[in-house]
Amino acid sequence: MQVWINGNAVEVDSEMTILQAAGKAGVQIPTLCHLEGVHEMGVCRICVVEVKGSRNLLPACITKVREGMEILTHTARVRRARRTVLELMLSDHPNECLSCGKGSACELQQLARELNITDRRFEGSYSKRIIDDGTPSLVRDSGKCILCRRCPTVCSQIQGVSAIAPIDRGFKTVIAPAWKESLINSPCVLCGQCAAVCPTGAIMEKNDSQKVWNALSDPGYHVVVQAAPAVRVAIGEMFGMEPGTPATGKMVTALKRLGFDRVFDTNFSADLTIMEEGNELLQRIREGGKLPMITSCSPGWINYIEYFFPDLLEHLSTCKSPQQMFGAVIKTYYADKMALDPEKIFTVSVMPCTAKKYESQRPEMASSGYRDVDAVLTTRELGTMLKEAGIDLAACPDGEFDEPFGPGTGAGAIFGNTGGVMEAALRTVYELVTGKPLDRLEFNEVRGLKGIKETRVKLCDMELSAAVIHGLSNVRPVLEEIREGRSPYQFIEVMCCPGGCIGGGGQPFSRDKDVRAKRMQGLYKEDESLPIRKSHENPAVRKLYEEFLIEPLGHKSHELLHTSYKSRR
Amino acid sequence: MKLYRNHVLVCGGGGCQSSGCKEISRQLRDELIKLGIGDEINVVITGCMGPCSLGPVMIVYPEGIFYCGLKPESVSRIAREHLYEGNPVKEFFYRDPYSGEAMATIHEIPFFTRQKKVALRNVGLIDPLKIEEYIAFDGYFALAKALSEMTPFDVIKVVKDSGLRGRGGAGFPTGLKWELTAKASGSPKYVTCNADEGDPGAFMDRSIIEGDPHTLIEGMAIAGYAIGAEQGYVYIRAEYPMAVEHLEKAIAQAREYGLLGKNILGSGFHFDLEIRVGAGAFVCGEETALLSSVEGKRGEPRPKPPFPAEKGLWGKPTLLNNVETYANIPAIILEGPEWFKSMGTEKSPGTKVFALAGNVVNTGLVEVPMGTPLGDIIFDIGGGIIGKREFKAAQTGGPSGGCIPASGLNIPVDYESLKEWGTIMGSGGLIVMDERTCMVDLAKYFLDFVQEESCGKCTPCRLGTKRMLEILQRITEGKGKREDIETLKQLGEDIMDTALCGLGQSAPNPVLNSIRYFLDEYVKHIEKHHCDASVCAAMFLAPCQNACPAGVDVPQYIEYIRRGMLMEAVATIRERNPFPSVCGRVCTHPCEDRCQRAQMDEPMAIRSLKRFAADYELQNKEAFYFNEDQQKANGKNKTVAVIGGGPAGLTAAYYLSLWGYKVTVFEAAGQLGGALNYYIPPYRLPNDVLAREIDIILRSGVNVVLDTKVGRDISFGEIRNHFDAVFVAIGTQQAAELGIEGEKSKGVMTALDFLSRINRGQRPEIGDKVVVIGGGSTAFDAARSAVRLGAKEVCILYRRSKWDMPALPEEREHAAEEGVKIFDYVAPVSIIPDENGRIEGLKCIRMAKGEFDSSARRKPVPIEGSEFRMDVDTLLIAIGAQGEVEGFEELELTGWKTFKVDEDTMQTSMEGVFAGGDCIHGPDTVIQAIADGRRAALAIDRYLGGNQEELEKAQQHKPRKIYGSIVETEQERLRVPLLTPEERKNNFREIELPFDIEACQREASRCLRCDVR
Repeated sequence: MQVWINGNAVEVDSEMTILQAAGKAGVQIPTLCHLEGVHEMGVCRICVVEVKGSRNLLPACITKVREGMEILTHTARVRRARRTVLELMLSDHPNECLSCGKGSACELQQLARELNITDRRFEGSYSKRIIDDGTPSLVRDSGKCILCRRCPTVCSQIQGVSAIAPIDRGFKTVIAPAWKESLINSPCVLCGQCAAVCPTGAIMEKNDSQKVWNALSDPGYHVVVQAAPAVRVAIGEMFGMEPGTPATGKMVTALKRLGFDRVFDTNFSADLTIMEEGNELLQRIREGGKLPMITSCSPGWINYIEYFFPDLLEHLSTCKSPQQMFGAVIKTYYADKMALDPEKIFTVSVMPCTAKKYESQRPEMASSGYRDVDAVLTTRELGTMLKEAGIDLAACPDGEFDEPFGPGTGAGAIFGNTGGVMEAALRTVYELVTGKPLDRLEFNEVRGLKGIKETRVKLCDMELSAAVIHGLSNVRPVLEEIREGRSPYQFIEVMCCPGGCIGGGGQPFSRDKDVRAKRMQGLYKEDESLPIRKSHENPAVRKLYEEFLIEPLGHKSHELLHTSYKSRR
Repeated sequence: MKLYRNHVLVCGGGGCQSSGCKEISRQLRDELIKLGIGDEINVVITGCMGPCSLGPVMIVYPEGIFYCGLKPESVSRIAREHLYEGNPVKEFFYRDPYSGEAMATIHEIPFFTRQKKVALRNVGLIDPLKIEEYIAFDGYFALAKALSEMTPFDVIKVVKDSGLRGRGGAGFPTGLKWELTAKASGSPKYVTCNADEGDPGAFMDRSIIEGDPHTLIEGMAIAGYAIGAEQGYVYIRAEYPMAVEHLEKAIAQAREYGLLGKNILGSGFHFDLEIRVGAGAFVCGEETALLSSVEGKRGEPRPKPPFPAEKGLWGKPTLLNNVETYANIPAIILEGPEWFKSMGTEKSPGTKVFALAGNVVNTGLVEVPMGTPLGDIIFDIGGGIIGKREFKAAQTGGPSGGCIPASGLNIPVDYESLKEWGTIMGSGGLIVMDERTCMVDLAKYFLDFVQEESCGKCTPCRLGTKRMLEILQRITEGKGKREDIETLKQLGEDIMDTALCGLGQSAPNPVLNSIRYFLDEYVKHIEKHHCDASVCAAMFLAPCQNACPAGVDVPQYIEYIRRGMLMEAVATIRERNPFPSVCGRVCTHPCEDRCQRAQMDEPMAIRSLKRFAADYELQNKEAFYFNEDQQKANGKNKTVAVIGGGPAGLTAAYYLSLWGYKVTVFEAAGQLGGALNYYIPPYRLPNDVLAREIDIILRSGVNVVLDTKVGRDISFGEIRNHFDAVFVAIGTQQAAELGIEGEKSKGVMTALDFLSRINRGQRPEIGDKVVVIGGGSTAFDAARSAVRLGAKEVCILYRRSKWDMPALPEEREHAAEEGVKIFDYVAPVSIIPDENGRIEGLKCIRMAKGEFDSSARRKPVPIEGSEFRMDVDTLLIAIGAQGEVEGFEELELTGWKTFKVDEDTMQTSMEGVFAGGDCIHGPDTVIQAIADGRRAALAIDRYLGGNQEELEKAQQHKPRKIYGSIVETEQERLRVPLLTPEERKNNFREIELPFDIEACQREASRCLRCDVR
């Protein structure tokens, strides 16, 4: 059909919104609350346009086109209304841009520039400011909240958690857990998806960079760092690189320049996880253990099941996540090997995740007698630290991960994608069971952004039925099935965040709707580029078993690499 | 079936419930049994009858005798005297608010006769808890008709043809909505009812559900049939427990009778209803928010389109109407669309229920044909404004609506005209406001309401209304800025343009509307820091002080009187008003009108207290605080001429002189005092009292030149040249004429001429029959003086209603006691002289109530052929006066022959020449003249380089303190002893008698001291 945008005829699809139609016509309409495909509520009213025949201005983001519609996007009336709406928002927003952690990533600030706002027209009272820093992962500052409502939408629609919702009315409206409690007393899983979509600094990860700076500048500490696979395909975004560009080598150099004594690859412990988890699965299948077995490397997911489905905790693999396994190995095996006092080793991990901060602080994550992981940085925090230190990641030469753990395998790398753990596990389990090498390493059915993916793999005389789920709202029906005893699967991979870790709550902010797909491709590329692509072939892992752990699921493994769960109800 | 001699219907509406109707009906039943007639008379508790402010009320059928304001004792008497003995008890009849006449039946009381009930047809007439009674009044016949004789299409056509529009507010055509829902694809479909009545003061939906729940059920079932729905939901607010209870019972009864449920009346149509109780969010009146709430979600609006007709409850086509709309449906189906269209206006057929509230006599629920003039609803049905105050505005549409000022009293109330006037029908709230309402404060009230009730979803509503509220708050605190009005307008328009739902889009309406009609009030708040209505308390000490044109510190002098410090009391008055004794006698006391004590019992007797203190001063030492040293210290060596020795001129002269100026007063007459001296008769203001008060003023050092009239004895230019500044305060002396035939006849004179002769000690010759034309104080002064001169018959003719007379009620009362007769709605046509050219009679014509004029009074219109003749010996004309401006040709005039002055500086068109008093406003009150005199003195001081204003401002913030306790129990106001009518009829002695200090102190201790916060 045809519509008229600012007097120009545009051919559009009947399902399009005015915003999309305008985009097609090359007309930019400012938006703020809108997140295509995720949050389409039309609440901020920044995108209003004039439509002939309509008494009021209409929100372009949710108003569908009609045949012959005459749309005016930048008339004096529209610009005045938009300015007023934005000026109103600014009138209830603290004047703290200079010291706000969100910095220039703030969409409100960007919009104020775009609309050429140069003063604060409305003066008035500020709504009550509640700062919730009760969790180790996230800090919520209602003073900076513009009530775009992206966070409750993501929390309820994408994650199915509904920990936060609008409370109270009018000027007193606030997004908060029930009874305006702290997140720590809510069902919040700390996935940080709210922080990832927040246009302002109202929800941010709890900043741990100072802790890391302190360790780095303390000569008494041996400071090591591990970096998760999803980090390397995203951190470049903060330095002007295209999303998904693998920046592994540059990142290693940058971390070394930052002052870490050793830089390790979490891919190593991902491989280690596969060794333990793959064997655990086989053991459960062979010995009649609890099935289906569900992966346990995503800490947001662990929080979810502990809160919402505590009766199903036995289905979880007892494996610690790669982050925690690595920490435990560093404080024991590595300390021994390097003749270091574990007390004096400070382990840092760089994660795409906010829930990892919480995970690292769980009391049980210290089975070596020392905290497995001392500090967790999100990808964003690392990027900010590099900038503070004047390190341009994009300009860094490639470096290599330090021994004794080396670079890890392709199987470890794809851990960052939804389906990656499954694929890595299948590569190993298949060969462990059949004793034959796989013809093709790629398991395409478990790749991609579909919410629930399934696969069946023939392993000698048995067929393994598996599912891959990401985004917690997709988990509920599968768990209900398990609860009712009708689950068709033996093995399920669950990743808390949509897309897996590459879409984690600690990743660089992006409004690029294809950002997840690009990062995923980056990891698959990384996998392909690596000489070793199966976890059980990782020489460092083999060496670890030979020198220290003896065998998967062995006594030491049990002590250091496995854990248990409890109901959070 | 049992037959009863009488049915007594006791109103069980919300208002009557709270005033004790249950107790009344119990008492009545007991009494009837005691009298042995318990089985002859049926006592029924019905739904709301409407006249809530009169409650508890009841009607005795078959005659329709209406009793109001009932108490258990009164019921016993009614049982005995009326129901047993057969004599209705007049004492508990309704009384006409204008005439005070008792009216017996609902067939004569305008509150009932002017109504036309469709939606409320059974409310107040049946026992709502008995389905049999509903059926007896043709209940469920419409459903039966629809199911047996009509297709769904037919039903929709009838509703469309009727022209019924949604009674919830927006007035969307109901039939069209039904058609859209019927045609929408999707299944199942739902019928929903909005009973979340949230507008402050509106309670028609509640009354319908409480008083006639089956009509809602029937209307919804018909709708279900028409659109193809089998399930309906009624969304009622939790604040209406009785409505919920009645509807629950009615639904159960309807199910029992097969009128809800499966296969209704064997037609194959299934329909059932469920109640959803809302938690009381105003926004849930918005349709999409309501549907979200029915679904169990947070009550927040969602964007439209899609409209509920396409995607409503759970995404299915849903019909949503409000209670009143559904209540019309059965009647329309039964009586047909033509019948419905015969009521109301072309575009808004039918009737509308209004909840009449505010400062109107008969508050309650009324149903009138659409198009009934607003003024008729307020003044005929509503009985006018309480206390006969001035109507200011009517607010419709609740927080989304706006106000209609007095100029809109003639508009026919329907959707179109309300929209034209910038307001909306809304659910039918109609709040009447008098002059004590501050429009800025009112706008603030409504905005505060909507900003509290905003769901917070969209930015403009959540933040915009808050910012508007903050601006209004500032304005009402006297901190407004000039640009605030423009900001409010712009912000309001932008909110309306961008908000997500109807609540936000209409939220700024009360503000924009009040700026449209009452801009001057906003400006006054911002620029003058004055709230005429004495509401915005941050801008004044106390309402009485704020209402006083001269701003006298009333609570302070009342406090001094209470403490027995009478000299200090007078000194306090004299700071703003050098005529305490005069004002203690003749002031129109606007202060008392605003006295907060009136809300408890009666207003303070402020004028009388002032008189007491001032008299004490005159009889004892003087509180006059002038001293020469101070004057010398102030000495400014500048000269000021005051032209006119009336209250305005003398006041200005007094203060200027105190502040050190050399002042000369030029007076045309032989005595000072102006109108006080010449036109106010001695029985109200004795000459010696005035003389002594003037004497005190003169002692401040004022020079006086008597018998010197500008233009006759001296030229204006000469005065202007000799003085540094001139104040012109020449008043208005030229009496207005009737302009009718025979006005020059002997025996016809102006009241002013008549009064001035009396005050000069003459006894003007009058005949036996004296007629005075006019309705102001002068008319009454003339009439009462005529009585004192021995006239046998004195009457006052007034062309409007006696309630519209500008004279004070006590003047009317005192005149009546003295035998003066008042004839209202009469106007003179011509004077009939005898052969000697002497008046012999007056031809008059009767007047009828016409449309409302801009003063909210009905314009009198002559009734053709109603002319009649009166015998008259003396005719006194008291219809106003104007200035004599000869000699002042250099000064610019207004169209009313008054001097044009700058409002802020009081300066005329000529530099250094100021004017004030009646010669700038036309005839006005004494206190206004005094206030002008002082304002002019300050303006002249400023002009001559003084800083008196700053000095006074600096002294204003003294701490306020209460000494002793306030009487907080009801206590009668001080009654001033008067001469009896017999004692006063043949002489000019002052009629008010002195009273003692104990009485005054008792009165003073009633003062609530609003100034102490």
